[in-house]
Amino acid sequence: MRKLLIVILLVSAIFAFAKVKIQFWHAMGGWRIELLQKMAEEFMKQNPDIEVEVQYTGSYRDTLNKLIAAVKAGTPPHVVQIYEIGTQVMIDGDIAIPIEDLIKKDPTFDIGKFLPQVLNYYRVNGKLHSMPFNSSNPILYYNKTLFKKAGLDPEKPPRTFEELIEYCRKLTIKDEKGNIVQAGITWPLHSWFFEQFVALQNAPLVDNDNGRSGRPTKAVFNHEAARRFFRLWYTLSKEGIMINTKKEDWTGARQLFISQKVAMLISSTSDVKLMMDAAKENGFELGTAFLPKPKEAEQGGVVIGGGSLWIIKGHPKDEIEAAWKFVKWMAEPEQQVKWHLGTGYFPVRKDAVEELLYKGYYAKYPHHLTALLQLLFSVQTPNTRGAIIGAFPKVRDIIETAIERMINGEMTPEKALEWAEKEATKAIQEYNELYE
Amino acid sequence: MRKSRKKLITMLVAEAILIVFTVIVTLPLFLAITISLQKPETVFSYPPKLFPRSFHWQNYVEAFRLVPLARLMLNSLIIASSITLGKLFTGTLAGYAFANFRFKGKEVSFALLFATLFLPAETVMILPLFLIMKKFNWINTYWALIVPFTASATNTFLMRQHFLTIPRELEDAAKIDGAGPMTYFRKILLPLSRSMLAGASIINFVYAWNMYLWPLIVTMEDKMKTVQIGVKMLIDAESANNWGVIMAGTVVALAPTLIVFLLLQNLFVKSLVRSGMKG
Amino acid sequence: MKEGWGISHPFFGGEEVRKILPYILLIPTFIVIILFIYWPAIYSFKLSLYRIAPFGNRMIFVGFKNFAKLFHNPEYINSISITAIYVVSSMLITLFLSFFIAILLNMKLPGNTVYRTLIFAPYAISPAIAGTLWTFLLNPVVGHVNYFFSKFFGIQVEWLTTKPFALYALIFATVWKTLPFNIIFYLAGLQNIPDELLESSMIDGANAWTRTWKIIFPLLSPITFYLVIMNIISFMFASFAIIDVMTKGGPGDYTTTMIYRLFLDAFVFQRTGSAAAQSVIMFIIMAIVTIVYFKFGERRVHYQ
Repeated sequence: MRKLLIVILLVSAIFAFAKVKIQFWHAMGGWRIELLQKMAEEFMKQNPDIEVEVQYTGSYRDTLNKLIAAVKAGTPPHVVQIYEIGTQVMIDGDIAIPIEDLIKKDPTFDIGKFLPQVLNYYRVNGKLHSMPFNSSNPILYYNKTLFKKAGLDPEKPPRTFEELIEYCRKLTIKDEKGNIVQAGITWPLHSWFFEQFVALQNAPLVDNDNGRSGRPTKAVFNHEAARRFFRLWYTLSKEGIMINTKKEDWTGARQLFISQKVAMLISSTSDVKLMMDAAKENGFELGTAFLPKPKEAEQGGVVIGGGSLWIIKGHPKDEIEAAWKFVKWMAEPEQQVKWHLGTGYFPVRKDAVEELLYKGYYAKYPHHLTALLQLLFSVQTPNTRGAIIGAFPKVRDIIETAIERMINGEMTPEKALEWAEKEATKAIQEYNELYE
Repeated sequence: MRKSRKKLITMLVAEAILIVFTVIVTLPLFLAITISLQKPETVFSYPPKLFPRSFHWQNYVEAFRLVPLARLMLNSLIIASSITLGKLFTGTLAGYAFANFRFKGKEVSFALLFATLFLPAETVMILPLFLIMKKFNWINTYWALIVPFTASATNTFLMRQHFLTIPRELEDAAKIDGAGPMTYFRKILLPLSRSMLAGASIINFVYAWNMYLWPLIVTMEDKMKTVQIGVKMLIDAESANNWGVIMAGTVVALAPTLIVFLLLQNLFVKSLVRSGMKG
Repeated sequence: MKEGWGISHPFFGGEEVRKILPYILLIPTFIVIILFIYWPAIYSFKLSLYRIAPFGNRMIFVGFKNFAKLFHNPEYINSISITAIYVVSSMLITLFLSFFIAILLNMKLPGNTVYRTLIFAPYAISPAIAGTLWTFLLNPVVGHVNYFFSKFFGIQVEWLTTKPFALYALIFATVWKTLPFNIIFYLAGLQNIPDELLESSMIDGANAWTRTWKIIFPLLSPITFYLVIMNIISFMFASFAIIDVMTKGGPGDYTTTMIYRLFLDAFVFQRTGSAAAQSVIMFIIMAIVTIVYFKFGERRVHYQ
């Protein structure tokens, strides 16, 4: 009898300590690794029956490649962070459990609490496939001190393209040999900014409502809105009042603004904290503003950037449940506030924003308010929801190449845009061949 | 008198050129060290600095805190050393075969081996190699990080070239003494190849130490990762960067390869001299 | 032709053992390369005949269409010419510069060991980090290089964002990284040349220039032979890392070499079939180059 009791005790002890293990892959480097680790530990404290293995898996691109390899080998993780432009590829791969399905089974989860702009990005064909997690927008940072020096009103950032050009002319200082000592503005040479300025004018990138009502079949961005932006970029570059970086060079652009070699910077909202600290250290006053728009443009909005969390198929039920618990938890207001405070990505839920508001946060950090308001003021149309394109990485590369060629004088803005649209259409059609 | 004057001028010019050259070549290294010792906010100030004004050692502390650098370096050390030894083992044996023996299929097998240089692991082959690792159940193990890299055309080629320069007389003498081919290999050939082995070791170690993509794909736990991944972990592409800390991590990651070179370089250069890397 | 332990020498262990000994010696190497290089390679090459979805859930057999598409793509043709320019330029500069520096180092001037040690640094630094550091140094407005240039020459070059400077910067960084390897081999070769040879040419009245090019360089031709092919392989296959960090193939595809294009298609655009086809093409090109090189190059090599 005693032996049996011991056996029963042992077995139940084993079961009691049997934790469900899940793997979480992310692409957040730097101090965010620590932050995510701490958050995971907090989750494990609250859920002692679940063990979360957090792994930094390289950049967004590395993470996707690692995921592909793991899926093909049959050893995928449970939760993985994928960049926003990978949404269609993930859906087409048919490897994830749509979050929508899990929400339907879970009455405790209220999706309504989420910011509609964020949900609208990640909802494809009415279905939410992944959980929004880290979202950002571009904003205009500017150096109030340099504004004053150039005779510009520091409380009046440029609001139109025309004003922007004028300001840059006034802010540019060149030496006797024509070399740039200080330029008006810079931003990373990244297709993201093109996409934003097109959306700001409520114009599309691809057909089928920007890929929202069906698979896109061609690129449609050779329109006046895009041309306005290309012409702006071209003019600023040609007059030497803007400094261009190489492709996707976020660091280069930041470097120029922090060292006060440019008076204005367009970059992500996740840079707010960095810019605030840098301004203090380098002795200038920081200003933030909405992105400027062409005077005659339609009112559009900014598009969400960043990433989301996906739950991958191919795991036993209890592990999926644990993964869902974790993903849900990461999206809770407390975690979203913590994440926002630690990174600068804005909280994806209304109640988190509310909490910050009552804490007096936005009064203390008005720059964060700038980003949030720009987002909230965005009109919700398919154009501002963000394009859904399977071949997005290739399309981005094409646009960036076109911009580089335009800046180097190889193509006029109009020709460059035309070329980009044609090549993008080719890429989209090639992608679609697989799904016919 | 004039000749020695001319010689002096030549020497001075040569020395000057060497100094300038060395400075230019080591610029990036200086930069890395300088940035690693700067406070985060001063990294991007203008005019740019090449020598550290402050010695902000906290960057190094922070690098070790953010990332388990010590553990990662240990992994890299184990992996790089094992790969080096493995390549030396397979390379000397194979090089011996190609240099000292005649056998059917020699040219074909040499060509096959050489052709592997056109099939670099870290591009298209990563996915199939990963699937093979899955088959062997080696994912997230040292096996996956080491074994696929234990043979090398470079090593074989290098050793072959070296063995070809060893005079036949030594071989004949060994035969007369009644030594077999493997004894000759162990007792005579290898000892004469010490420096070439040192050189090959440097090449192998650096190659293995600098691998990034394969270790990233095949490891599934932080504690199995290698130092290059660690350095990447410090970088935060989309958001704020602390370049001081990143460079601190970089300098730490760099140190072992430089140390290995320091230890082995005398052997290596002397080697090529003695054995005569003639071809 | 070196004769070794050929079959004609009777030995302890008998003829059979020694007939198979070379094969035994090759076994470890060949097990590894067949299992871990050729097996994946064949799988990869097979993929070149398909169009494949990123996650592999769709596969369409397209035969040689991937290859045809590449050769009809002006961007691909462009990358071939860029590769040729890049490889040849880097090669010539690396060879001649490393030869020159090796001669200087061979003079055993004061500080020789220090220079030799420091010059190794570029080899040890990984391509990604090297690219990052050079990007800092080459920043058009706050970088050290332009700071120097503007102070001394009054010009400000946009190194990584304009033609042709992006290619220059890339070649420069590549040469920088490859120099140590080349210098060390040349240095060793130089130290092997008996001093009498150098002395005698001085007596003949040959001046330094002639001496160097007509006598010393040919003596080192075996080393040059080895270095050229190893450099080509390195430039062809290993350059994608440094390109990705420094120029991302830009501006406007100006620095997109074949391997970088392959890298993009394989890892960024997930165009697996096309990437596989490109690796087949590169394999064939290198095989041809190598065969031609060994057949004709070896003739010009001067063995003692």
